[in-house]
Order: sequence, then structure tokens, then C-alpha cells
Amino acid sequence: MAELTTFSYRSGNSLIHSLDVRFKLAALVFSSLATLNADFRMLITASCLLVIVFLHLRMPLKSVLKEIRYFFLLMFLIFSARALTEAGTPLIETKYILISRQGIYEGALVAWRLLIIVFLALPFVSTTRYSEVKAAVEWYLTPFPFIPQKRIATMLSLIMRFIPVILDQARETADAQRARGVENRKNPVYRMIKFVIPLIRRIFETADEIVMAMEARCYSESRTGPVFEARLRDWIALAASGGFCLWSVMT
Amino acid sequence: MNIIEIENLSHRFSDGTLGLADINLTVETGAMAIIAGENGSGKTTFLKHINGLLRPDTGTVRLAGVPVSRDVTRARQMVGMVFQNADSQIVGDTVYSDVAFGPENLRLSRPEVNRRVVKSLETVGLIDLARQKPHLLSGGEKRRLSIAGVLAMNPQVIAFDEPFSSLDYPGFKQVLRQIISLHQLGHTILVTTHDVEKIIAHADRLIIMKGGRIVRDGIPIEVIKDAEIFGIRQPCSLRL
Repeated sequence: MAELTTFSYRSGNSLIHSLDVRFKLAALVFSSLATLNADFRMLITASCLLVIVFLHLRMPLKSVLKEIRYFFLLMFLIFSARALTEAGTPLIETKYILISRQGIYEGALVAWRLLIIVFLALPFVSTTRYSEVKAAVEWYLTPFPFIPQKRIATMLSLIMRFIPVILDQARETADAQRARGVENRKNPVYRMIKFVIPLIRRIFETADEIVMAMEARCYSESRTGPVFEARLRDWIALAASGGFCLWSVMT
Repeated sequence: MNIIEIENLSHRFSDGTLGLADINLTVETGAMAIIAGENGSGKTTFLKHINGLLRPDTGTVRLAGVPVSRDVTRARQMVGMVFQNADSQIVGDTVYSDVAFGPENLRLSRPEVNRRVVKSLETVGLIDLARQKPHLLSGGEKRRLSIAGVLAMNPQVIAFDEPFSSLDYPGFKQVLRQIISLHQLGHTILVTTHDVEKIIAHADRLIIMKGGRIVRDGIPIEVIKDAEIFGIRQPCSLRL
């Protein structure tokens, strides 16, 4: 089975790898919220910091950019929509369209913010195992009495674990159908039905097997919980992201 | 001493199909028994009763003298089950977290969970792959990971359901070596298969099932003579 994408965990011993996942998750949330309200100065600062982080983690930038190429299309659409609809000092004016200076500014700001949020998530995803994310979610949900945090955490980890299996099954089903000439059928609805029904059946069969295997290993919601250890570096990371958030609110 | 004692065990599925009929069997501690039979003969259904995954319609399954129905968790801890499809058995996102799944369910302390995980991974030779993602392992490694997951629960009996299916020759050798080694360590081993040739030389008992019933039970060299009647291929050495 192949790797999923570059948006998946990469083992390593960097500082970000070693941070407590609860702090990492909180820092990601604070930084993302701060970015939503960031001005150009903040975005430049965030971009510079992200470049340092990417270099520190030795992220394969080329692969990352290739992975998110369709996201750039979305950003272009958002930028264009803003540029074409925002009123202000005309920069380009024809009979049908008017692009204002303020529109360009606003479009660039929104697109840049979105890009930063995506790039903030990337170091988190590539330095954090699903099991750690699961453990952090479980920890954050613990104070809520009516939320079955262990069940949610198990479901989360099973989803992440079985995405590659489901993708494999989807590829096998598609290959088997191509081998029997499904491409000669031009009706997309017919092709979709013939693809989805066997795939769903296989997914449910696999789900049944998983349930059986989990029961065989005494699965229960009353299980040994994760162990966390907060160190000084975790608090510094949290304080830095909190400070970034505060800066964003104050500007 | 008998670790498994089964009396008059019968099971019928919800659609009315007969799964098992009137099974009477005892298995000695430390034995290695092959349960052979063609597809649909009831091998897997039989194993699931020993592990407490299925409940009998009639009859009793006892593990070290205690009925499975009295304490299912104990039964599942005592009888580790390695399923045919390793991909469906592996639930962790890393090799390490998958092996930890069982001990965590037993509510062991974190240091004890860690100790058992390391020991199990060392036993199956996967300690160097502890941080690896399970879906990137080879077929033989996945099967060994399933075994490690079971070993971490300290079972006395290990039940293998078709352990050699879909394995290439290196994978088969890895898994066979593991089964033999676990037997030598004192575990009672049950192996279901429709192809006895791969393991018969190491077993001390061969049980043949057909239509949910035990039709032959005894020393492999004796029982194998009748294997073809029940749809089981005899080893090449006997055919030549």
C-alpha cells in the first residue's frame, strides 16, 4: 500500500515533534484564529516564522506545493471575487469590470490568510501521530460529562487508520471494473452505482471484521488512558501562539 | 491437564445454517493442534466459541475449568485469536500503538503496557519497526504484528485462523517460525487450515471438521490418511 500524502506524519526528533500534543493543538488553534484577523505585518511575520519551521523540519516544499495545487485555484477564485467586487479607487476599469486598489488589497489579504492557515496545519500534521491527536482530543473532551470522549477518540483513530485501507479497496474495485471494460459504459450514473455498491459492501464487511477483532482483544471504553508531560518548551510554544492571538486582537 | 474442555457444543446461525453440531473435545495444555477442513466446515466458528466471540446454543466451553460464559474477558485474555485477515485485526496507527491496544483494554498501568509491548515486539522481531505505520508492512510482518498484539495480552492459548493464507514463501516461513517458537515457549496452539501440509510436521494432533462436526481426531500421521475423504489435500510426501 502506498503512502497517503505529504500531509501525513513524518517521523523525526525535531523540537516540534517533541512538543506535548495538547499544547501543539492549542497553539495551532490560537495561531489559526489569530491569522483570521491578521493584517499584512502579521502575515509577513507568520510567513517568515513558517519558512524557518519548514526549513527546520526539512519539509519537501515541492511536494507540498504540488499537493495543494488545487487549493491555489480556490485562492485565486477568492482573490478574484474580492478584487472584482470591492468598491474603491479604480485600478483597472473597462466597460464591464472594475478592479479597485482596495479590492486587490482585500483579496490578497484573505488569500494570504487562508494560505497561512493551511501552512500552519502542515507542521502540526507532519509532526504529530494520529494516536497523539486522538489522545489530545480525548483529554480536551474529558471535562464534558455527556460526551463519550473515549468512544470519539477510538472512532477518530479508526478512521485515520482505515483511510488507507478504504483507498486501497477503492483502487482495487476500480481496477477490477476497468479490467472488465467499465470504461466502455458512458453513463456516469451506471458507472458510479457499479463502483459504489461493491465498495460500500467491502467497507461494511471490513468494519464487521474490525469489530470482531477489537472484541477479541477485550475492547472496552474503560481503558488505560494516555500519559502527558508538559515541559517548559510546551508552555513557551503556547505563550507564543497566545501572544500572536493577542497581537491580532489588538491591531 | 486440559486447558480446553468442550462438551456437546452446538451453534446455529441466525439464518438457520448449522455452524457446529455436538462438538466434544479436550485440548491438553501445551499441545499444538491443527483443525483442518474445507471452507464452511466450521473451523472459524469453533475458534470463535473458544475465544467467547460467539455463544453456543447448547453445550459448554471451559478454559482451565471455568466456563467461557462466566467470564468472557478472562476467556479473551486467555485465548488470543489471530484472524485470517491481518489488515482487519490491526487497529493502531503505528505498530507500537496496535500492540498496546490489548493491554490498554485490560486497564494495565502505562509502564506495564509499555513493558508488554516491547517484549511482544521483541518476540516477533518487529521492535525496529515500532514507529512504522502498519499499512506499510509486508504480509508476513502484518501477520507477526497480529501475533504481537495477541501476545501482549499474555494468553495461554493462541488460536490462529488460516495463518498462512495470502502469504508468499518468506512470509509463510516467518509466521511458521513464530508459531513453532510460541509452542516451544509453552503456549497451547490451535491452527485452523485447509492446507495441512505447511504445518503438519510440527503438530501433535490433527482434528478434521466437516459440516460443523468433528469427523476425525488423533495423531496427525494416523488421521491424515483419511484427509482426502473430507476434502483436505494430503501432503505431497504421502502422495508420492
